[in-house]
Amino acid sequence: MFELAGWKLPPELRASQPAELRGMRRDHVRLMVIDRTSGSITHTRFDQVGDFLDAGDLLVVNSSRTLPAAIPARRQDGSPVQLRPSVRRGQHWDALAVQPNPPHANVPLAAGERLAVAGTQATVEGRRADIPLLWRIRLDEDGLDRLLLAGEPIRYSYVPGPIPLEYYQTVYATHPGSAEAPSAGLAFSWEVLLGLHERGIETADIVLHTGLSSFQDDAFDAEHHMYEEWFEVSTLAAAAVGRAHRVIAVGTTVVRALETAVDRHGHVRALAGWTDLKISPAHRPRVVDALITGFHEPQASHFELLQAFVDGDLLRRAYAGAIERRYLWHEFGDTMLIL
Amino acid sequence: MSALRGRVALVTGASRGLGRAVALAFAREGALLAICARGAAALEAVAAEVRAAGAAVLAIQADVRNSRDIERVVALTLEGFQRIDILVNNASELGPTPLPYLVDYPPDAFDDVLQVNVVAPFRLSQAVIRSMLTQREGVVINVSSDAAVTGYPGWGAYSVSKAALDGLTRTWAEELEGTGVRIHAVDPGDMDTAMHRAAEPEADPIDLARPEEVAEAFVRLASEPHPATRLEARSLLEVRSRV
Repeated sequence: MFELAGWKLPPELRASQPAELRGMRRDHVRLMVIDRTSGSITHTRFDQVGDFLDAGDLLVVNSSRTLPAAIPARRQDGSPVQLRPSVRRGQHWDALAVQPNPPHANVPLAAGERLAVAGTQATVEGRRADIPLLWRIRLDEDGLDRLLLAGEPIRYSYVPGPIPLEYYQTVYATHPGSAEAPSAGLAFSWEVLLGLHERGIETADIVLHTGLSSFQDDAFDAEHHMYEEWFEVSTLAAAAVGRAHRVIAVGTTVVRALETAVDRHGHVRALAGWTDLKISPAHRPRVVDALITGFHEPQASHFELLQAFVDGDLLRRAYAGAIERRYLWHEFGDTMLIL
Repeated sequence: MSALRGRVALVTGASRGLGRAVALAFAREGALLAICARGAAALEAVAAEVRAAGAAVLAIQADVRNSRDIERVVALTLEGFQRIDILVNNASELGPTPLPYLVDYPPDAFDDVLQVNVVAPFRLSQAVIRSMLTQREGVVINVSSDAAVTGYPGWGAYSVSKAALDGLTRTWAEELEGTGVRIHAVDPGDMDTAMHRAAEPEADPIDLARPEEVAEAFVRLASEPHPATRLEARSLLEVRSRV
Protein backbone atom coordinates (compact mmCIF):
# COMPACT_ATOMS: atom_id res chain seq x y z
CA MET A 1 0.00 0.00 0.00
CA PHE A 2 1.07 3.52 -0.77
CA GLU A 3 2.70 5.30 2.16
CA LEU A 4 2.95 9.05 2.14
CA ALA A 5 5.86 9.42 4.55
CA GLY A 6 9.18 9.61 2.75
CA TRP A 7 7.60 8.74 -0.61
CA LYS A 8 9.28 9.97 -3.79
CA LEU A 9 7.77 9.96 -7.24
CA PRO A 10 9.85 7.82 -9.62
CA PRO A 11 11.40 10.39 -11.97
CA GLU A 12 10.28 8.56 -15.12
CA LEU A 13 6.64 9.06 -14.12
CA ARG A 14 6.93 12.82 -14.37
CA ALA A 15 5.35 14.06 -17.61
CA SER A 16 8.11 16.18 -19.07
CA GLN A 17 6.16 17.37 -22.10
CA PRO A 18 2.54 17.97 -23.11
CA ALA A 19 0.76 15.00 -24.69
CA GLU A 20 0.91 16.52 -28.19
CA LEU A 21 4.70 16.80 -27.98
CA ARG A 22 4.81 13.18 -26.81
CA GLY A 23 3.12 12.27 -30.11
CA MET A 24 -0.44 11.78 -28.94
CA ARG A 25 -3.68 13.71 -28.80
CA ARG A 26 -4.30 15.71 -25.64
CA ASP A 27 -7.52 13.75 -25.04
CA HIS A 28 -5.70 10.41 -25.27
CA VAL A 29 -4.00 10.68 -21.88
CA ARG A 30 -5.11 8.10 -19.35
CA LEU A 31 -8.06 8.46 -17.03
CA MET A 32 -8.46 6.72 -13.68
CA VAL A 33 -12.05 6.66 -12.48
CA ILE A 34 -12.49 6.41 -8.72
CA ASP A 35 -15.99 5.50 -7.63
CA ARG A 36 -16.42 6.50 -4.00
CA THR A 37 -19.69 4.62 -3.57
CA SER A 38 -18.39 1.20 -4.63
CA GLY A 39 -14.74 1.85 -3.88
CA SER A 40 -13.89 0.62 -7.39
CA ILE A 41 -11.09 1.97 -9.54
CA THR A 42 -11.37 1.80 -13.35
CA HIS A 43 -8.63 2.54 -15.87
CA THR A 44 -9.54 4.05 -19.23
CA ARG A 45 -8.60 6.79 -21.69
CA PHE A 46 -9.60 10.42 -21.18
CA ASP A 47 -11.76 10.68 -24.32
CA GLN A 48 -14.01 7.97 -22.82
CA VAL A 49 -14.92 10.23 -19.89
CA GLY A 50 -18.52 10.50 -21.16
CA ASP A 51 -19.09 6.81 -20.34
CA PHE A 52 -19.04 7.78 -16.66
CA LEU A 53 -21.33 10.82 -16.95
CA ASP A 54 -25.08 11.15 -17.47
CA ALA A 55 -27.33 13.58 -19.33
CA GLY A 56 -28.01 16.46 -16.96
CA ASP A 57 -24.52 16.40 -15.47
CA LEU A 58 -22.62 19.66 -15.70
CA LEU A 59 -18.90 20.06 -16.27
CA VAL A 60 -17.62 23.29 -14.77
CA VAL A 61 -14.34 24.44 -16.27
CA ASN A 62 -11.94 27.24 -15.41
CA SER A 63 -11.67 29.48 -18.49
CA SER A 64 -8.71 31.43 -17.12
CA ARG A 65 -5.95 31.88 -19.68
CA THR A 66 -2.37 31.17 -18.66
CA LEU A 67 0.16 33.99 -18.74
CA PRO A 68 3.86 33.70 -19.50
CA ALA A 69 4.45 34.47 -15.82
CA ALA A 70 8.22 33.94 -15.52
CA ILE A 71 9.37 37.51 -16.11
CA PRO A 72 13.01 38.47 -16.60
CA ALA A 73 14.11 41.45 -14.49
CA ARG A 74 17.40 43.15 -13.70
CA ARG A 75 18.62 44.55 -10.39
CA GLN A 76 20.53 47.82 -10.09
CA ASP A 77 23.84 45.97 -9.81
CA GLY A 78 23.09 44.44 -13.21
CA SER A 79 22.35 40.94 -11.93
CA PRO A 80 19.38 39.15 -13.48
CA VAL A 81 16.46 37.91 -11.43
CA GLN A 82 13.23 36.20 -12.47
CA LEU A 83 9.95 37.47 -11.09
CA ARG A 84 6.92 35.21 -10.81
CA PRO A 85 3.91 37.37 -10.02
CA SER A 86 1.49 35.25 -8.05
CA VAL A 87 -1.07 37.90 -7.27
CA ARG A 88 -1.55 40.87 -9.63
CA ARG A 89 -3.61 43.93 -8.74
CA GLY A 90 -2.95 46.29 -11.65
CA GLN A 91 0.60 47.51 -11.26
CA HIS A 92 0.96 45.92 -7.80
CA TRP A 93 2.42 42.44 -7.86
CA ASP A 94 3.09 39.93 -5.10
CA ALA A 95 5.91 38.06 -6.76
CA LEU A 96 8.43 35.38 -6.07
CA ALA A 97 11.99 36.48 -6.94
CA VAL A 98 14.17 33.59 -8.11
CA GLN A 99 17.39 32.95 -9.99
CA PRO A 100 16.78 32.96 -13.75
CA ASN A 101 18.17 29.43 -14.16
CA PRO A 102 17.43 26.09 -12.49
CA PRO A 103 17.09 25.31 -9.67
CA HIS A 104 15.56 28.80 -9.45
CA ALA A 105 16.50 29.40 -5.82
CA ASN A 106 14.88 32.36 -4.11
CA VAL A 107 16.77 35.66 -4.39
CA PRO A 108 16.47 37.99 -1.40
CA LEU A 109 15.61 41.48 -2.61
CA ALA A 110 15.88 44.66 -0.54
CA ALA A 111 12.97 46.89 0.36
CA GLY A 112 13.24 50.09 -1.65
CA GLU A 113 15.41 48.69 -4.43
CA ARG A 114 14.59 49.40 -8.05
CA LEU A 115 14.26 46.74 -10.73
CA ALA A 116 14.10 46.92 -14.51
CA VAL A 117 11.10 44.73 -15.42
CA ALA A 118 9.66 44.06 -18.87
CA GLY A 119 10.46 47.44 -20.37
CA THR A 120 9.59 49.48 -17.29
CA GLN A 121 10.91 50.10 -13.78
CA ALA A 122 9.59 48.80 -10.49
CA THR A 123 10.09 49.40 -6.80
CA VAL A 124 10.38 46.60 -4.25
CA GLU A 125 8.15 47.73 -1.40
CA GLY A 126 8.90 44.87 0.96
CA ARG A 127 7.90 41.32 1.81
CA ARG A 128 4.39 40.05 2.32
CA ALA A 129 3.87 39.60 6.04
CA ASP A 130 2.02 36.28 5.76
CA ILE A 131 4.16 34.80 2.96
CA PRO A 132 7.60 36.36 3.26
CA LEU A 133 8.87 34.72 0.07
CA LEU A 134 6.50 36.93 -1.91
CA TRP A 135 7.75 40.44 -2.59
CA ARG A 136 5.40 43.37 -2.91
CA ILE A 137 6.46 45.07 -6.13
CA ARG A 138 5.01 48.24 -7.65
CA LEU A 139 5.54 48.73 -11.38
CA ASP A 140 5.92 52.29 -12.64
CA GLU A 141 3.61 51.43 -15.53
CA ASP A 142 0.86 48.87 -15.73
CA GLY A 143 0.14 46.69 -18.70
CA LEU A 144 -0.53 43.08 -19.52
CA ASP A 145 1.25 43.59 -22.84
CA ARG A 146 4.61 44.06 -21.11
CA LEU A 147 4.20 40.71 -19.43
CA LEU A 148 3.06 39.03 -22.66
CA LEU A 149 6.07 40.44 -24.52
CA ALA A 150 8.69 39.57 -21.92
CA GLY A 151 7.54 36.45 -20.09
CA GLU A 152 7.88 32.71 -20.53
CA PRO A 153 5.63 30.03 -19.01
CA ILE A 154 6.68 29.02 -15.49
CA ARG A 155 8.38 25.66 -15.72
CA TYR A 156 9.54 23.23 -13.05
CA SER A 157 12.55 20.94 -13.07
CA TYR A 158 10.67 17.94 -14.49
CA VAL A 159 10.04 19.90 -17.71
CA PRO A 160 13.60 20.20 -19.00
CA GLY A 161 13.07 22.30 -22.12
CA PRO A 162 11.00 25.35 -23.00
CA ILE A 163 7.40 24.58 -24.00
CA PRO A 164 5.46 27.13 -26.08
CA LEU A 165 2.71 28.89 -24.14
CA GLU A 166 -0.08 27.48 -26.34
CA TYR A 167 0.53 24.01 -24.87
CA TYR A 168 -0.26 25.41 -21.43
CA GLN A 169 -3.66 26.68 -22.60
CA THR A 170 -6.80 24.63 -22.18
CA VAL A 171 -8.99 24.53 -25.30
CA TYR A 172 -11.49 26.81 -23.55
CA ALA A 173 -8.92 29.30 -22.23
CA THR A 174 -10.35 32.79 -22.48
CA HIS A 175 -9.69 35.31 -19.70
CA PRO A 176 -5.96 36.04 -19.24
CA GLY A 177 -4.62 35.92 -15.68
CA SER A 178 -3.27 32.59 -14.42
CA ALA A 179 0.33 32.29 -13.28
CA GLU A 180 0.24 28.56 -13.98
CA ALA A 181 -2.05 26.50 -16.19
CA PRO A 182 -5.32 25.30 -14.63
CA SER A 183 -4.00 21.95 -15.76
CA ALA A 184 -6.82 19.53 -14.87
CA GLY A 185 -8.60 20.56 -18.06
CA LEU A 186 -5.63 20.28 -20.41
CA ALA A 187 -6.84 16.85 -21.55
CA PHE A 188 -10.12 18.17 -22.94
CA SER A 189 -10.42 18.67 -26.69
CA TRP A 190 -13.41 20.42 -28.23
CA GLU A 191 -14.17 17.16 -30.01
CA VAL A 192 -14.72 15.56 -26.60
CA LEU A 193 -16.63 18.55 -25.20
CA LEU A 194 -18.92 18.86 -28.23
CA GLY A 195 -19.53 15.09 -28.08
CA LEU A 196 -20.56 15.45 -24.44
CA HIS A 197 -22.89 18.34 -25.31
CA GLU A 198 -24.65 16.06 -27.83
CA ARG A 199 -25.22 13.57 -25.00
CA GLY A 200 -26.80 16.23 -22.78
CA ILE A 201 -23.71 16.79 -20.64
CA GLU A 202 -23.29 20.55 -20.62
CA THR A 203 -20.38 22.83 -19.83
CA ALA A 204 -20.28 26.03 -17.80
CA ASP A 205 -17.21 28.15 -17.14
CA ILE A 206 -15.97 30.08 -14.15
CA VAL A 207 -12.75 32.07 -13.90
CA LEU A 208 -10.10 31.59 -11.25
CA HIS A 209 -6.67 33.05 -11.93
CA THR A 210 -4.20 30.61 -10.43
CA GLY A 211 -1.24 31.63 -8.31
CA LEU A 212 2.02 29.72 -7.92
CA SER A 213 2.06 26.05 -7.00
CA SER A 214 5.55 26.26 -5.52
CA PHE A 215 7.59 28.86 -3.65
CA GLN A 216 10.83 27.12 -4.69
CA ASP A 217 11.48 26.21 -1.06
CA ASP A 218 10.66 22.64 0.00
CA ALA A 219 10.26 23.37 3.69
CA PHE A 220 8.04 26.37 3.02
CA ASP A 221 5.99 24.49 0.41
CA ALA A 222 5.41 21.65 2.89
CA GLU A 223 3.64 24.10 5.21
CA HIS A 224 0.91 24.52 2.53
CA HIS A 225 0.57 28.27 2.68
CA MET A 226 -2.65 29.40 1.07
CA TYR A 227 -3.24 32.85 -0.25
CA GLU A 228 -5.86 34.71 -2.21
CA GLU A 229 -6.74 34.11 -5.85
CA TRP A 230 -9.08 36.17 -8.05
CA PHE A 231 -12.25 34.39 -9.15
CA GLU A 232 -15.51 35.10 -10.91
CA VAL A 233 -18.67 33.00 -11.03
CA SER A 234 -21.08 34.47 -13.59
CA THR A 235 -24.87 34.53 -13.38
CA LEU A 236 -24.91 32.07 -16.27
CA ALA A 237 -22.60 29.62 -14.47
CA ALA A 238 -24.48 29.95 -11.18
CA ALA A 239 -27.78 29.18 -12.94
CA ALA A 240 -26.27 26.18 -14.74
CA VAL A 241 -25.00 24.80 -11.42
CA GLY A 242 -28.47 25.29 -9.94
CA ARG A 243 -30.05 23.22 -12.74
CA ALA A 244 -27.41 20.48 -12.85
CA HIS A 245 -27.93 16.87 -11.86
CA ARG A 246 -24.32 16.42 -10.76
CA VAL A 247 -21.72 19.18 -10.73
CA ILE A 248 -18.34 17.94 -11.96
CA ALA A 249 -15.51 20.37 -11.23
CA VAL A 250 -12.69 20.27 -13.76
CA GLY A 251 -9.82 21.09 -11.48
CA THR A 252 -9.45 22.10 -7.87
CA THR A 253 -9.54 25.78 -8.91
CA VAL A 254 -13.17 25.24 -9.89
CA VAL A 255 -13.90 23.70 -6.49
CA ARG A 256 -12.36 26.74 -4.81
CA ALA A 257 -14.38 29.21 -6.90
CA LEU A 258 -17.74 27.41 -6.67
CA GLU A 259 -17.46 26.65 -2.96
CA THR A 260 -16.61 30.31 -2.31
CA ALA A 261 -19.74 31.36 -4.17
CA VAL A 262 -22.10 29.14 -2.14
CA ASP A 263 -24.57 31.13 -0.05
CA ARG A 264 -25.86 30.09 3.37
CA HIS A 265 -28.73 28.19 1.75
CA GLY A 266 -26.29 26.04 -0.17
CA HIS A 267 -26.90 27.71 -3.55
CA VAL A 268 -24.18 29.01 -5.85
CA ARG A 269 -24.70 32.67 -6.69
CA ALA A 270 -22.91 35.01 -9.08
CA LEU A 271 -19.90 36.40 -7.26
CA ALA A 272 -16.48 37.85 -8.06
CA GLY A 273 -13.58 38.73 -5.82
CA TRP A 274 -10.61 37.27 -4.01
CA THR A 275 -10.90 33.91 -2.31
CA ASP A 276 -8.66 32.37 0.31
CA LEU A 277 -10.95 29.42 0.91
CA LYS A 278 -9.10 26.23 1.77
CA ILE A 279 -10.77 22.99 0.77
CA SER A 280 -9.74 20.18 3.12
CA PRO A 281 -11.31 17.35 5.08
CA ALA A 282 -12.36 20.06 7.53
CA HIS A 283 -14.18 21.99 4.79
CA ARG A 284 -16.02 19.57 2.60
CA PRO A 285 -17.51 20.69 -0.71
CA ARG A 286 -21.18 21.65 -0.59
CA VAL A 287 -22.06 21.90 -4.29
CA VAL A 288 -19.33 20.02 -6.15
CA ASP A 289 -20.30 16.37 -6.61
CA ALA A 290 -17.36 15.05 -8.58
CA LEU A 291 -13.89 16.14 -9.61
CA ILE A 292 -11.55 15.75 -12.57
CA THR A 293 -7.96 16.40 -11.55
CA GLY A 294 -4.37 15.46 -12.28
CA PHE A 295 -1.77 13.54 -10.31
CA HIS A 296 0.42 15.73 -8.15
CA GLU A 297 2.96 14.79 -5.53
CA PRO A 298 1.16 13.86 -2.33
CA GLN A 299 3.31 16.16 -0.25
CA ALA A 300 1.58 19.02 -2.07
CA SER A 301 -1.58 20.59 -0.69
CA HIS A 302 -3.38 18.88 -3.57
CA PHE A 303 -3.44 15.60 -1.62
CA GLU A 304 -4.97 17.28 1.39
CA LEU A 305 -7.63 18.81 -0.83
CA LEU A 306 -8.43 15.45 -2.41
CA GLN A 307 -9.10 14.05 1.05
CA ALA A 308 -12.08 16.38 1.17
CA PHE A 309 -13.49 14.15 -1.59
CA VAL A 310 -12.02 10.71 -1.02
CA ASP A 311 -11.23 8.94 2.22
CA GLY A 312 -7.55 8.34 2.84
CA ASP A 313 -7.59 4.58 2.25
CA LEU A 314 -9.23 4.76 -1.16
CA LEU A 315 -6.98 7.66 -2.17
CA ARG A 316 -3.85 5.74 -1.17
CA ARG A 317 -5.13 2.74 -3.13
CA ALA A 318 -5.67 5.00 -6.16
CA TYR A 319 -2.17 6.45 -5.91
CA ALA A 320 -0.65 2.98 -5.53
CA GLY A 321 -2.56 1.89 -8.64
CA ALA A 322 -1.34 4.94 -10.55
CA ILE A 323 2.28 4.13 -9.73
CA GLU A 324 1.88 0.44 -10.51
CA ARG A 325 0.28 1.22 -13.87
CA ARG A 326 2.81 3.91 -14.68
CA TYR A 327 0.43 6.87 -14.82
CA LEU A 328 2.18 10.13 -15.67
CA TRP A 329 2.11 12.92 -13.11
CA HIS A 330 2.07 16.73 -13.05
CA GLU A 331 0.40 19.25 -15.35
CA PHE A 332 1.09 17.42 -18.61
CA GLY A 333 0.29 14.00 -17.20
CA ASP A 334 -2.69 11.69 -16.85
CA THR A 335 -5.96 12.43 -15.09
CA MET A 336 -8.42 11.06 -12.57
CA LEU A 337 -12.17 11.38 -12.22
CA ILE A 338 -13.49 11.11 -8.68
CA LEU A 339 -17.18 10.18 -8.68
CA MET B 1 -26.65 52.19 -37.58
CA SER B 2 -26.36 49.70 -34.78
CA ALA B 3 -26.26 46.31 -36.44
CA LEU B 4 -23.21 45.37 -34.33
CA ARG B 5 -23.97 47.23 -31.11
CA GLY B 6 -21.80 45.96 -28.26
CA ARG B 7 -20.17 43.23 -30.37
CA VAL B 8 -16.42 42.83 -30.08
CA ALA B 9 -14.61 42.61 -33.42
CA LEU B 10 -10.98 41.75 -34.06
CA VAL B 11 -9.67 42.83 -37.49
CA THR B 12 -6.17 41.96 -38.74
CA GLY B 13 -4.30 44.04 -41.28
CA ALA B 14 -6.45 46.98 -40.23
CA SER B 15 -4.01 49.79 -40.96
CA ARG B 16 -5.08 50.27 -44.59
CA GLY B 17 -7.23 49.14 -47.47
CA LEU B 18 -10.06 46.71 -46.79
CA GLY B 19 -9.04 46.09 -43.16
CA ARG B 20 -9.25 49.79 -42.35
CA ALA B 21 -12.61 50.11 -44.15
CA VAL B 22 -14.05 47.08 -42.32
CA ALA B 23 -12.88 48.40 -38.94
CA LEU B 24 -14.47 51.78 -39.61
CA ALA B 25 -17.70 50.24 -40.92
CA PHE B 26 -17.93 48.00 -37.83
CA ALA B 27 -17.25 51.01 -35.58
CA ARG B 28 -20.09 52.98 -37.20
CA GLU B 29 -22.40 50.01 -36.50
CA GLY B 30 -21.64 50.12 -32.80
CA ALA B 31 -18.94 47.42 -32.48
CA LEU B 32 -16.00 47.54 -30.09
CA LEU B 33 -12.79 47.19 -32.09
CA ALA B 34 -9.47 45.45 -31.61
CA ILE B 35 -7.28 46.15 -34.62
CA CYS B 36 -3.84 44.90 -35.42
CA ALA B 37 -1.18 45.48 -38.07
CA ARG B 38 2.59 45.51 -38.38
CA GLY B 39 3.06 49.27 -38.81
CA ALA B 40 2.45 51.20 -35.59
CA ALA B 41 2.01 54.68 -37.10
CA ALA B 42 -0.57 53.67 -39.71
CA LEU B 43 -2.38 51.54 -37.11
CA GLU B 44 -2.58 54.45 -34.68
CA ALA B 45 -4.00 56.67 -37.43
CA VAL B 46 -6.80 54.14 -38.06
CA ALA B 47 -7.36 53.79 -34.30
CA ALA B 48 -7.91 57.56 -34.17
CA GLU B 49 -10.44 57.30 -37.02
CA VAL B 50 -12.27 54.47 -35.24
CA ARG B 51 -12.35 56.52 -32.04
CA ALA B 52 -13.69 59.49 -33.99
CA ALA B 53 -16.50 57.21 -35.21
CA GLY B 54 -17.43 56.82 -31.55
CA ALA B 55 -16.14 53.29 -30.92
CA ALA B 56 -13.85 51.89 -28.24
CA VAL B 57 -10.67 50.67 -29.89
CA LEU B 58 -7.63 48.66 -28.90
CA ALA B 59 -4.70 49.02 -31.35
CA ILE B 60 -2.19 46.16 -31.12
CA GLN B 61 0.99 46.33 -33.13
CA ALA B 62 1.58 42.71 -34.11
CA ASP B 63 3.00 40.45 -36.77
CA VAL B 64 0.58 37.55 -37.19
CA ARG B 65 3.44 35.29 -38.34
CA ASN B 66 4.75 35.35 -34.77
CA SER B 67 3.03 33.02 -32.29
CA ARG B 68 3.82 35.29 -29.33
CA ASP B 69 2.10 38.11 -31.17
CA ILE B 70 -0.93 35.91 -31.85
CA GLU B 71 -1.22 35.24 -28.11
CA ARG B 72 -0.81 38.99 -27.44
CA VAL B 73 -3.57 39.90 -29.89
CA VAL B 74 -5.98 37.36 -28.40
CA ALA B 75 -5.12 37.92 -24.72
CA LEU B 76 -5.13 41.73 -24.97
CA THR B 77 -8.48 41.72 -26.79
CA LEU B 78 -10.00 39.38 -24.21
CA GLU B 79 -8.55 41.40 -21.34
CA GLY B 80 -9.89 44.62 -22.85
CA PHE B 81 -13.34 43.45 -23.93
CA GLN B 82 -13.86 40.04 -22.16
CA ARG B 83 -15.01 38.37 -25.39
CA ILE B 84 -14.50 38.21 -29.15
CA ASP B 85 -17.66 38.01 -31.30
CA ILE B 86 -16.22 38.67 -34.74
CA LEU B 87 -12.83 37.84 -36.21
CA VAL B 88 -11.85 39.14 -39.65
CA ASN B 89 -8.72 37.47 -41.01
CA ASN B 90 -7.85 40.21 -43.46
CA ALA B 91 -4.04 40.58 -43.17
CA SER B 92 -2.64 39.27 -46.44
CA GLU B 93 0.72 39.15 -48.17
CA LEU B 94 0.70 39.59 -51.94
CA GLY B 95 4.29 38.46 -52.45
CA PRO B 96 7.04 40.17 -54.42
CA THR B 97 5.98 42.83 -56.93
CA PRO B 98 5.99 43.00 -59.86
CA LEU B 99 4.41 39.58 -59.47
CA PRO B 100 6.85 36.92 -60.71
CA TYR B 101 5.91 33.77 -62.61
CA LEU B 102 6.05 30.65 -60.46
CA VAL B 103 9.04 29.50 -62.48
CA ASP B 104 10.86 32.62 -61.29
CA TYR B 105 9.32 32.80 -57.78
CA PRO B 106 11.78 33.24 -54.87
CA PRO B 107 11.14 30.18 -52.66
CA ASP B 108 11.41 32.10 -49.38
CA ALA B 109 8.84 34.60 -50.59
CA PHE B 110 6.49 31.70 -51.35
CA ASP B 111 6.89 30.48 -47.76
CA ASP B 112 6.21 33.94 -46.43
CA VAL B 113 2.96 34.30 -48.40
CA LEU B 114 1.74 30.97 -46.98
CA GLN B 115 2.76 31.98 -43.45
CA VAL B 116 0.78 35.22 -43.54
CA ASN B 117 -2.20 34.05 -45.60
CA VAL B 118 -2.71 30.48 -44.33
CA VAL B 119 -0.75 29.56 -41.21
CA ALA B 120 -1.40 32.80 -39.34
CA PRO B 121 -5.18 32.77 -39.98
CA PHE B 122 -5.25 29.13 -38.83
CA ARG B 123 -3.43 29.90 -35.59
CA LEU B 124 -5.36 33.06 -34.84
CA SER B 125 -8.70 31.46 -35.72
CA GLN B 126 -7.92 28.48 -33.52
CA ALA B 127 -7.19 30.67 -30.50
CA VAL B 128 -10.26 32.83 -31.09
CA ILE B 129 -12.68 30.01 -31.98
CA ARG B 130 -11.76 28.21 -28.75
CA SER B 131 -13.04 31.22 -26.88
CA MET B 132 -16.07 31.58 -29.18
CA LEU B 133 -17.02 27.94 -28.49
CA THR B 134 -16.81 28.67 -24.78
CA GLN B 135 -19.23 31.58 -25.23
CA ARG B 136 -21.22 29.51 -27.80
CA GLU B 137 -21.35 32.14 -30.48
CA GLY B 138 -19.15 34.00 -32.90
CA VAL B 139 -18.40 34.62 -36.54
CA VAL B 140 -15.11 34.36 -38.40
CA ILE B 141 -14.68 35.97 -41.83
CA ASN B 142 -11.68 35.04 -43.93
CA VAL B 143 -10.75 37.34 -46.79
CA SER B 144 -10.40 35.20 -49.91
CA SER B 145 -9.96 36.11 -53.57
CA ASP B 146 -11.05 35.00 -57.01
CA ALA B 147 -7.40 33.95 -57.34
CA ALA B 148 -8.38 31.09 -55.00
CA VAL B 149 -10.42 29.50 -57.82
CA THR B 150 -8.85 30.91 -61.01
CA GLY B 151 -5.26 30.84 -62.23
CA TYR B 152 -3.67 34.19 -63.14
CA PRO B 153 -0.06 34.54 -64.27
CA GLY B 154 2.09 35.94 -61.47
CA TRP B 155 -0.45 35.27 -58.70
CA GLY B 156 0.91 31.79 -57.90
CA ALA B 157 1.72 31.96 -54.19
CA TYR B 158 -1.24 34.24 -53.47
CA SER B 159 -3.55 31.91 -55.40
CA VAL B 160 -2.30 28.83 -53.54
CA SER B 161 -2.62 30.62 -50.21
CA LYS B 162 -6.19 31.76 -50.81
CA ALA B 163 -7.22 28.33 -52.13
CA ALA B 164 -5.77 26.87 -48.93
CA LEU B 165 -7.62 29.45 -46.85
CA ASP B 166 -10.85 28.44 -48.62
CA GLY B 167 -10.09 24.81 -47.77
CA LEU B 168 -9.45 25.72 -44.17
CA THR B 169 -12.75 27.61 -44.10
CA ARG B 170 -14.70 24.65 -45.52
CA THR B 171 -13.29 22.27 -42.89
CA TRP B 172 -13.90 24.70 -40.04
CA ALA B 173 -17.48 25.15 -41.28
CA GLU B 174 -18.14 21.39 -41.18
CA GLU B 175 -16.57 20.99 -37.74
CA LEU B 176 -18.38 24.00 -36.26
CA GLU B 177 -21.83 23.06 -37.53
CA GLY B 178 -24.39 23.46 -34.76
CA THR B 179 -22.02 25.08 -32.28
CA GLY B 180 -23.19 28.68 -32.71
CA VAL B 181 -19.87 29.64 -34.26
CA ARG B 182 -19.94 30.24 -38.02
CA ILE B 183 -17.19 30.88 -40.52
CA HIS B 184 -17.15 32.30 -44.03
CA ALA B 185 -14.66 33.01 -46.79
CA VAL B 186 -15.45 36.17 -48.71
CA ASP B 187 -14.06 37.19 -52.07
CA PRO B 188 -14.14 40.98 -51.87
CA GLY B 189 -13.60 41.47 -55.64
CA ASP B 190 -11.13 43.88 -57.21
CA MET B 191 -10.77 46.97 -55.05
CA ASP B 192 -8.94 50.26 -55.30
CA THR B 193 -6.34 49.49 -52.62
CA ALA B 194 -2.56 49.74 -52.24
CA MET B 195 -2.34 45.95 -52.62
CA HIS B 196 -4.23 46.00 -55.89
CA ARG B 197 -2.11 48.88 -57.21
CA ALA B 198 1.02 46.89 -56.33
CA ALA B 199 -0.32 43.87 -58.20
CA GLU B 200 -1.80 45.65 -61.22
CA PRO B 201 -0.50 49.20 -61.46
CA GLU B 202 -2.09 49.73 -64.87
CA ALA B 203 -5.67 49.00 -63.70
CA ASP B 204 -8.09 51.91 -64.04
CA PRO B 205 -9.48 52.80 -60.57
CA ILE B 206 -12.83 53.50 -62.21
CA ASP B 207 -13.19 49.72 -62.73
CA LEU B 208 -12.45 48.96 -59.10
CA ALA B 209 -14.74 48.90 -56.09
CA ARG B 210 -14.00 51.17 -53.17
CA PRO B 211 -13.11 49.24 -49.99
CA GLU B 212 -15.69 51.35 -48.11
CA GLU B 213 -18.45 49.88 -50.30
CA VAL B 214 -17.17 46.33 -49.94
CA ALA B 215 -16.93 46.74 -46.15
CA GLU B 216 -20.73 46.93 -46.02
CA ALA B 217 -20.83 43.28 -47.09
CA PHE B 218 -18.72 42.44 -44.05
CA VAL B 219 -21.12 44.30 -41.76
CA ARG B 220 -23.97 42.33 -43.24
CA LEU B 221 -22.22 38.99 -42.92
CA ALA B 222 -21.11 39.75 -39.35
CA SER B 223 -24.59 40.72 -38.24
CA GLU B 224 -26.78 38.11 -39.98
CA PRO B 225 -26.34 34.38 -40.56
CA HIS B 226 -25.76 33.41 -44.18
CA PRO B 227 -26.13 29.89 -45.62
CA ALA B 228 -23.07 30.02 -47.88
CA THR B 229 -19.61 29.24 -46.52
CA ARG B 230 -17.86 30.91 -49.46
CA LEU B 231 -19.36 33.94 -51.12
CA GLU B 232 -18.58 37.05 -53.12
CA ALA B 233 -18.98 40.37 -51.36
CA ARG B 234 -20.78 41.66 -54.46
CA SER B 235 -23.64 39.18 -53.94
CA LEU B 236 -24.37 40.59 -50.49
CA LEU B 237 -24.26 44.16 -51.73
CA GLU B 238 -26.64 43.44 -54.62
CA VAL B 239 -29.15 41.88 -52.25
CA ARG B 240 -28.90 44.89 -50.00
CA SER B 241 -29.40 47.43 -52.82
CA ARG B 242 -32.55 45.66 -54.02
CA VAL B 243 -34.14 45.85 -50.57
